[in-house]
Amino acid sequence: MTSNALITISVTVCLAVLGGCASQVTVNNLNIPDPLIKKIPISVAVKFPDEFEHFVHKEETLGREKWSIDLGRSNTLLFTKLLEALFNEVVVLDDSVDPLDIPTWMDFIDIDAVIAPSIDAFEFSIPSQNQADFFAVWVRYRIKIFDREGQQFANWLISAYGKSQKSTTVSGDDPLHHAAVLAMRDAAALILIQLDKATSISSLSREPLSNVTTNSTPAMSELALQNPK
Amino acid sequence: MLLRTQQMGQVKQISYRLSLIRQLVLIILPCIVMTACVTARVEDQRTTSTGILAGEGVVIMPKSYHLGNETEAKFTKCVGSALGRGSSRLRVIPNNEFVDALFPWFEPRTVPSDIKGLSILLKEPGVSDMIAKKGVRYIIWLDGDTDKIAGGGTLSCAAGPGGAGCFGFAWWQDDSKYDATVWDITALQSAGTVSANVSGTSYLPAIIIPIPLIARTRSKACKGLADQLKLFIVTDTST
Repeated sequence: MTSNALITISVTVCLAVLGGCASQVTVNNLNIPDPLIKKIPISVAVKFPDEFEHFVHKEETLGREKWSIDLGRSNTLLFTKLLEALFNEVVVLDDSVDPLDIPTWMDFIDIDAVIAPSIDAFEFSIPSQNQADFFAVWVRYRIKIFDREGQQFANWLISAYGKSQKSTTVSGDDPLHHAAVLAMRDAAALILIQLDKATSISSLSREPLSNVTTNSTPAMSELALQNPK
Repeated sequence: MLLRTQQMGQVKQISYRLSLIRQLVLIILPCIVMTACVTARVEDQRTTSTGILAGEGVVIMPKSYHLGNETEAKFTKCVGSALGRGSSRLRVIPNNEFVDALFPWFEPRTVPSDIKGLSILLKEPGVSDMIAKKGVRYIIWLDGDTDKIAGGGTLSCAAGPGGAGCFGFAWWQDDSKYDATVWDITALQSAGTVSANVSGTSYLPAIIIPIPLIARTRSKACKGLADQLKLFIVTDTST
């Protein structure tokens, strides 16, 4: 065996061993069911920031394992589905549109509000950290709502939580992947039920509302409804 | 002469294989047959009369982990499948099918925590229709888990060029405590609670080969709870 072959084998073995210390979780094909919820009768535009659309969380736990959790395009798909279920009409703004320049383009699109979601924080814990037999994921989403004049109308912070047991899940998913999916589903449920109550977005309708309950003050402060952490 | 020697060799080989199989059976059979003893207590507390009509079914829901519940997904599945087979079997609507159909109202964060919450939820558009469409008469809420509460002993294993083996003795005690609260959706009230409390000690003696004597407390609790739930729901047909 030549020395080149030996070097190649050694490098391959080293890479394989080092690669064993890294774990990657990719959340794709997030399955959110059709919600059983009443629509809010307004039209909205939504702008997904680039970092929201391609969110990847990287972390090294206890100096032993490197974790990479890639939410892929799941965030965008999740919010698009949620907003389409919640509102009469949803326009997804592309990258060329500057969300801060709302009054300029608002006249060209017939909408009542602009929604800009983002991820403020992402955390997870694994059994070796929490001394228990479960994986947990926390995602903190921020939802900013702008009116037709481009003024920030609401700024809602929500904390979503997902937990999955260490042993194999019934669906056969990786437990951390399952916990991340549950956290996103948790956020979805909270947004569907609480968005209007927390932000009064329905009051931005240009048409008189008859069937929609609105609160007098929107959530301008950082409102975390439930944080089970 | 040569033929006779060959035949004797074959006979020796067959008898060697038979003795090997016999030894393996002697080692493996006790592991399969022997299980450690468990102590089980299953009881129910009824608050209203129950009963179930043809076409009506139940759904098994673990209580929310947002409230600190740690009921294992496997246990929920076990109770569901045990309720759906045998005598007096019930029609069990799969948990994920029910939760998806009623999304977002039965998520861990949003599930009703009491009967009052359920009656408010039923007023939401489409919710009671979907529950009726699924044919759900009872929601069974599972709470509890299995914990290892004690353990001890020493067991060490070693391997070398001549073979491998273990020596020692280990033991541990498991406690499975589960409650199943039954909500009657038609009557909009809690029908009562069935609880299972099973404890058992597992042993693992090892002289070269470890012989596990496992106390299967969780599966015992699953079976006990499911059997009692069937009696609880089906037997009383006064409604």
